[in-house]
Amino acid sequence: MSILSLKDVKKNFGVTEIIRGVSLDIEAGEKHAIIGPNGAGKSTLFHLISGLYNVTAGTIDFNDEEIQNKPPYEIARLGLARSFQVTNIFPRMNVFENVRCALLWSNGYRYSFWHLLGRQAELNDKAMHVLEQIGLRDKALFPSGELAYAQQRALELGIAIASGAELIMLDEPVAGMSHSEAENAVELIRRITEGKTLIMVEHDMNIVFDVADRISVLVYGEIIATDKPENIRANPKVQEAYLGEVAASA
Amino acid sequence: MAVIKKLSVWIGYLIVLLALPQFFDSILAISIFNQMAIAIVFALSYNMLLGQGGMLSFGHAVYFGLGGFLAVHALILIEYETVFFSIIFIPLIGGVIGLLAGIFIGSFSTRKAGTIFAMISLGIGELIAASSLIFVDFFGGEAGVSGDRTFGPTFFGVDFAQDLEIYYVAVFWVFIATVFMYLFTQTPAGRMANAVRDNPERAEFIGYSARRVRYISFCASGLFAGVAGGLFALNYEFITEENLNAITSGRVLLMAYIGGLGYFIGPIVGAVVLTLMNSLLSNYSELWMLYLGIMFVLTVMFLPRGFAGFIMMHQVAWVRGTLKQLALPYLITGIPASIFATACIAMVEMSQSEEEFFHFLSMELDPAAATTWIVTIVIAAASYYATRRSLGQLNDAWESANTIPEEGEE
Amino acid sequence: MLEVFIFATLNGLVTGLLLFMLASGLTLIFSMMGVLNFAHASFYMLGAYFAYSISVSMGFWTGLIVAPLLVGILGALVERYGLRRVHQSGHVAELVFTFGMAFLIEEAIQFIWGRNTMNYQSPDLLDFPLFTLFGQEFSAYRGFMIAISMGIFICLYRVLTRSRVGIIIQAAITHPNTVANLGHNVPLVFMGVFGVGTALAGLAGVIAGPVLTTFPGMATVLGSIVFVIVVIGGLGSLAGAFIASLLIGLLQSYAIASDVGMPDLLNLFGVSFERSHPLNDLWTMTLPQVAPILPYLLLVLVLIFRPTGLMGKREE
Repeated sequence: MSILSLKDVKKNFGVTEIIRGVSLDIEAGEKHAIIGPNGAGKSTLFHLISGLYNVTAGTIDFNDEEIQNKPPYEIARLGLARSFQVTNIFPRMNVFENVRCALLWSNGYRYSFWHLLGRQAELNDKAMHVLEQIGLRDKALFPSGELAYAQQRALELGIAIASGAELIMLDEPVAGMSHSEAENAVELIRRITEGKTLIMVEHDMNIVFDVADRISVLVYGEIIATDKPENIRANPKVQEAYLGEVAASA
Repeated sequence: MAVIKKLSVWIGYLIVLLALPQFFDSILAISIFNQMAIAIVFALSYNMLLGQGGMLSFGHAVYFGLGGFLAVHALILIEYETVFFSIIFIPLIGGVIGLLAGIFIGSFSTRKAGTIFAMISLGIGELIAASSLIFVDFFGGEAGVSGDRTFGPTFFGVDFAQDLEIYYVAVFWVFIATVFMYLFTQTPAGRMANAVRDNPERAEFIGYSARRVRYISFCASGLFAGVAGGLFALNYEFITEENLNAITSGRVLLMAYIGGLGYFIGPIVGAVVLTLMNSLLSNYSELWMLYLGIMFVLTVMFLPRGFAGFIMMHQVAWVRGTLKQLALPYLITGIPASIFATACIAMVEMSQSEEEFFHFLSMELDPAAATTWIVTIVIAAASYYATRRSLGQLNDAWESANTIPEEGEE
Repeated sequence: MLEVFIFATLNGLVTGLLLFMLASGLTLIFSMMGVLNFAHASFYMLGAYFAYSISVSMGFWTGLIVAPLLVGILGALVERYGLRRVHQSGHVAELVFTFGMAFLIEEAIQFIWGRNTMNYQSPDLLDFPLFTLFGQEFSAYRGFMIAISMGIFICLYRVLTRSRVGIIIQAAITHPNTVANLGHNVPLVFMGVFGVGTALAGLAGVIAGPVLTTFPGMATVLGSIVFVIVVIGGLGSLAGAFIASLLIGLLQSYAIASDVGMPDLLNLFGVSFERSHPLNDLWTMTLPQVAPILPYLLLVLVLIFRPTGLMGKREE
């Protein structure tokens, strides 16, 4: 049962073709990594799925519902959450508020101006729980704009998973982290995506092979291979894409 | 414990509002308090847009003015006994009109924030202000519309002829409006307004339409601006096109900005300060608007977080108890700075004076004499130099008062 | 009828070109620095006042040359010591700063020159009718206004498209970081563009002063219209600003010159209302009456249906 289904998705910017016909089926509960050289269009693909960009052609189905060209907030409400390559939080609000805002819609608060947030015990508990999961509980009242980089990335993750979305998309979640920070982050990702579907863009091959059930390789806007990690490793087309023809024939 | 602390702030606010006339009971004082009340509600409503929502509006006076016009017409209807209700409810009528106007205008202006929003608000503001001169029946043309607030049913024998009686009505509405505007900031709509202000893109990815969030803030701010307009109508019994136009819109922007956008209390501070300047300074100098302009530009450049922001900057020192360390440094910088400002003001005023002798701070100066000018310029230059030199020590004191020491120090 | 049309067109042209002189400076500044200079019309006013004071002692023609230079220098200083500082606090702060400058300049002008209208005269040299048509004169001064405006634009166009400076400016408009990396002093370019933009506004003031009267409110009269033009034409597009300026100039001119109104429209349908009708103001509205609000109406419509304006490229 595929939770996310892309059929022949194309995206042009003017005359430049960035995504040239991507078809992909992601199974529910799967941990799927998307890898590829720089400029392949990985972030663009994320933007198309999450609603930031409109497709030039093709369809994207989420739980059998067409979501291409829908605005981001509609897609988010259906149960799809994402994080960003460049940290994208609410810098002037404290850590707790950041997470609480991410919880609001999925907990039924909509655009209410008659609920006082201080009194919403269940909501506040859930927010603290998320903070615990991401290890920022003691930084709850800290202004989020002043957190250290790795902590901001953790908060980024927290905002993405807070809503309880069933499909989580992470765009280079450990970029810029030291080795130990990345290890912790991967452990965190594993924990919080248990039972959910994960699509991850990542460059670090160790993490990719460690976490992913399947890997898709995106090169110049096209997927050249989708398979289990060990098969991808051995795939000549993939080797060629990364290392050039010489390595492939070696 | 925190609840009691918070509640005591509100109770203190109410007590101050109620007790003010006991300490300052002259007619002038009451009139100033009424003006402050109107300004506070207006400025707080504006901050819902700018400080909390990140939407810079140059046309907020529209909701204030429309509220005011409808309020005055309501007074007229009461007077001619077409309707019958206490004038205490007049600000509510202003609020309803402000809300309706906000609902209509917001439906197409809130798609974007930023410069586009500012331009739309300017265009709408000018459009409505100019239209009000065409629709003379409702808006009274250049002369405006006037009414009488004493014809409504009396309230325990009070007919509201006196400004003091209106003051207590104003206190009622100011308190309620402040409470509700504060509570709004604690709701999902209010918090998401902050989120959309900080990062509209991310807000969409957590399920919220940025446009919808802005629209709600917009409507709410229109409502409270209308309430302020209704209070204005009650106080002055008179309203004109000027209360709708860019001048009034500019004034509320000034109030909110000088007070401090980032704090709920900021606009209150700005409203009080500006009302005082308006009422008191204008008696002493015709040039107070020039001083206001200079003060505003300097605030934007050097105190971007406003007066409230300036006060809040001292929070760390207050908590750490190092505030007294700053007293002397502030004095050392403050005294030459004040002398400099005074000398400049003296020069500005002298150049406008048409009299033989110019009265300044109980001194008689001869504006025609070269010596007067030379002395003033020398004082100004010297005090400016002294101020610049003293900034270093102020900076050092600030650093030491705010730096958290390493373990084992202090 | 024809004479009304011809003169309305000519006057509309004069106004439109004048508006473009203001709008072009504003567009350049917005394109370069992303800030909509709220005080732009104030520099226009300064130009008129400076020119007036200079012309009183040294004649109109000296004023024509010196006043715009003074305004440009002042503008450059405002950018260097004011705007640049505020830049780090964000776009809203920049807008508020320029708004504050507008306020301050108006007060300063009243402080220095007083609140009365200044008797700023057009030069005697041009005090003759350029031509007479159907008994109405078209003054040579207005012809001069058209000529100067066109001359400036041709210069501007050539500098922007043919000269080295112009190309750097065009590049810095869309890619300031790249241009800086190439070694050009972008802050200097910014200061220069702001200075030139405000100088253009000042020049507009110099030539408009005698015709549109020199008084402390002259900035507010034109100020919002210039924003309307820049937004309608499309934020960041000089060509759009040109079209919009002429459009608005002509539209207003025709509206004022025409004599039609709602009564005429209602007559077409054989409808009429009593004077006591609650919407009487609406039924007796005439086009000349409505002329001042037409630009704002256009602004709101454009912002609703085509937010990027006629030819806009740069959006916030």
